[in-house]
Amino acid sequence: MNTPRKVPVSILTGFLGSGKTTLLNRILSEEHGKRIAVIENEYGEVGIDQALVINADEEIFEMANGCICCTVRGDLIRVLGNLMKRRDKFDYVLVETTGLADPGPVAQTFFMDDEIRAEFALDGIVTLVDAAHIEQQLGRSDESTEQIAFADILVLNKTDLVNDEALDRLEARLRDMNRMARVVRSERADVSVDTVLNLGAFDLDQVLERRPTFLEPEYPFEWTGVYSLDTGRYELDLDDGPDPSMSLVVVSDQDTDDAALRESAEWCVRRYAEPAELIRPGEEIPLGKHVNLLLDSPGRKSFFLEVDTQVRVALYAEHGADEFDLQLGNAEGAEIMPEVERTWVAQHEHDDEVGSIAIERDGDVDPKKLDAWIGELLRERGVDIFRMKGFISLAGESRRFVFQGVHMLIDGQPDRPWGDSPRRNQLVFIGRDLDEQSIRQGFEACLV
Amino acid sequence: MSAAIQNDDGPRGVLRRGWSAAVGDYAIAGGWSLRGEALMVGDAAGGVYAFDGKSGATNWERRGVHEGGVLAVAVHPSGTTFATAGQDGRVLIWGVAEGQVQQAIDIGDDWVENVAWSPDGQWLAASCSRQVRAYGVDGAEVWRSDDHPSTVSAIAWSSAGELATACYGRVTFFDVPTGELRQKLEWQGSLVSMVLSPDGDIVACGSQDNTVHFWRRSTEQDAMMSGYSAKPSALAFDDTGTLLATGGGEAVTVWSFQGSGPEGTRPGVLEHHVQPVTTLAFARRGMRLASAARDGAVVVWSLERDGNGRPIGTAVLAGIGAKLYWRPDGRALAALDAQGGVTAWRIG
Repeated sequence: MNTPRKVPVSILTGFLGSGKTTLLNRILSEEHGKRIAVIENEYGEVGIDQALVINADEEIFEMANGCICCTVRGDLIRVLGNLMKRRDKFDYVLVETTGLADPGPVAQTFFMDDEIRAEFALDGIVTLVDAAHIEQQLGRSDESTEQIAFADILVLNKTDLVNDEALDRLEARLRDMNRMARVVRSERADVSVDTVLNLGAFDLDQVLERRPTFLEPEYPFEWTGVYSLDTGRYELDLDDGPDPSMSLVVVSDQDTDDAALRESAEWCVRRYAEPAELIRPGEEIPLGKHVNLLLDSPGRKSFFLEVDTQVRVALYAEHGADEFDLQLGNAEGAEIMPEVERTWVAQHEHDDEVGSIAIERDGDVDPKKLDAWIGELLRERGVDIFRMKGFISLAGESRRFVFQGVHMLIDGQPDRPWGDSPRRNQLVFIGRDLDEQSIRQGFEACLV
Repeated sequence: MSAAIQNDDGPRGVLRRGWSAAVGDYAIAGGWSLRGEALMVGDAAGGVYAFDGKSGATNWERRGVHEGGVLAVAVHPSGTTFATAGQDGRVLIWGVAEGQVQQAIDIGDDWVENVAWSPDGQWLAASCSRQVRAYGVDGAEVWRSDDHPSTVSAIAWSSAGELATACYGRVTFFDVPTGELRQKLEWQGSLVSMVLSPDGDIVACGSQDNTVHFWRRSTEQDAMMSGYSAKPSALAFDDTGTLLATGGGEAVTVWSFQGSGPEGTRPGVLEHHVQPVTTLAFARRGMRLASAARDGAVVVWSLERDGNGRPIGTAVLAGIGAKLYWRPDGRALAALDAQGGVTAWRIG
């Protein structure tokens, strides 16, 4: 017997009023030529000829061992178990959960039950967010927090009811909680079908392609500009901006390649950790020191920079150059354009208990050590780890090892060969009150 | 639609070439008529078929009668009628010979997942979502249960007037048709399958957490059998109530209830399958057990009273083994598979 391709399943979550039924109706009424089976837990007004809609009461089955990670959705096992018997008639399965559902048991069902696992593959978790009400919901319920944390796609819906500034703030907060998810904005759940079906969301490659910075560490600065300067005196000119001051480190003798920029970034992180020297307009900025430019007076403010040789300098600035309309001019008043610019993932306060940890490290991992570390981590913290996924470069393995997990359940297999691409480990954890430092150290210890 | 089996995977040992036929989709469930004159089968496309027991010729077929698919089939003890249930929320009672629907019972929008005739043939029980209902042979409802705490996963008659139901966390016994609750056995676990010993005293359930749980009703003693590598959804008791065969992985594990067992005893572990076992069936007499697996392999075992045994016949199906049915006289074995194959072997 040949093994047929697994049927992809998307899970649609979101609080009551977030627009799940609207999205579902949109998916079902759009011409996409796919046969979709929908399993509904909320009795909405869905009913379209080209799809099979099955209503099922959410039945959460805990095991006698009391482990929440073993909790599954009995109704899904039953319904999918029957659906797979006529598999050739469905291209896709969509599971709509109730507003108050914990996505854990739904996702775990696809790991825990062997028969389901043999026939279906969890394609992705789509969480709809009511932009106008999510802030209140996040404060009141664990379920809404977990729905955000579990998501591969966050659809920020009803954006017409919220102003742009609030939306940006909200999006930043959601990204903080879940750095793995892709955020899509919509007004009346008007997102394309491709946004929610065939996500390949568990493919970290796609995530990286979309947002190559998401695995990067956070820095206390957002922007770097490298300027090629001759000996002389220069004027750094800033306009009014969002803050009354801005931190800065000026690095001397900077190369323009990315490795050199990263190396200086690490050096600047240590400078930023030192107390800043307050510099007032009209004063001179010392090289290689953490300074704080005072910007509380209205209008453009000038600071001075002196170099005694022909050199490239790099400005590692707390904010983007555009936020204060930062300009560098020479003694004749001519503006000098940066030779290279780069932005960094900025560090900020994490307000929510739920957050993401991303690890990126070159080198090979000892499979035994990794096994022991992951095993212990999941035993101790599995309840608080909602999602994890990544690539591992296992010592002695020519192929990339890909894994993903939900709570304590983890699933992994070798994927494509590394070939000429650099062997590198990339891991993402999303969970509650995770200790970033100990997880980082734990992983580092697994390296060969 | 019948054809002689023509392949290298021909049956071996006690399994002898018989006939094969096909239905329109995954062959879900079926059963033999009393003397084996006909084999009835329901499929995932909602079709109901009757094949000649000797030749495999199609006696009649009714395609698409249960919209969404057939979920359960139960042959009446008289062997002249049988019931089918499906995703369309209906139960149909058929005449075996002509294939005419004698009664159509419309239960509702939910799937009807289980049907079972009482041993005396007086009542037909059907489960639909969290409810169980009982009907007379005329299709008239005689009793309806309150909602169970979750969807009813299995039903079985423990005697002519007592029905057992399994759901998450509980097995319940009801008097039919009064509906009086006779006994409630509780255990926190998702009970996915249930089988009763022929005398109705022992209740065994497979659980989602890869265990088998059983109770002795007379003493309310219970025990849990663990160590399965997969969900034990296939269970079978032999006709004497001595042996309980369980799936749950590649091995067939057989617990013997002789003496003070099975507590504190080692089960018989029957190893031959290389894929998880999907279904089990005991012949009515002679300690013969048939098993089928996900890869379509079928094995007939000869068992001892201590639960040990050896394979005495093998065959291969075209798809996942769905169900096995011994002809009541034990002289033939029918197998249904996921590719819609219906195969019957003579037993040598």
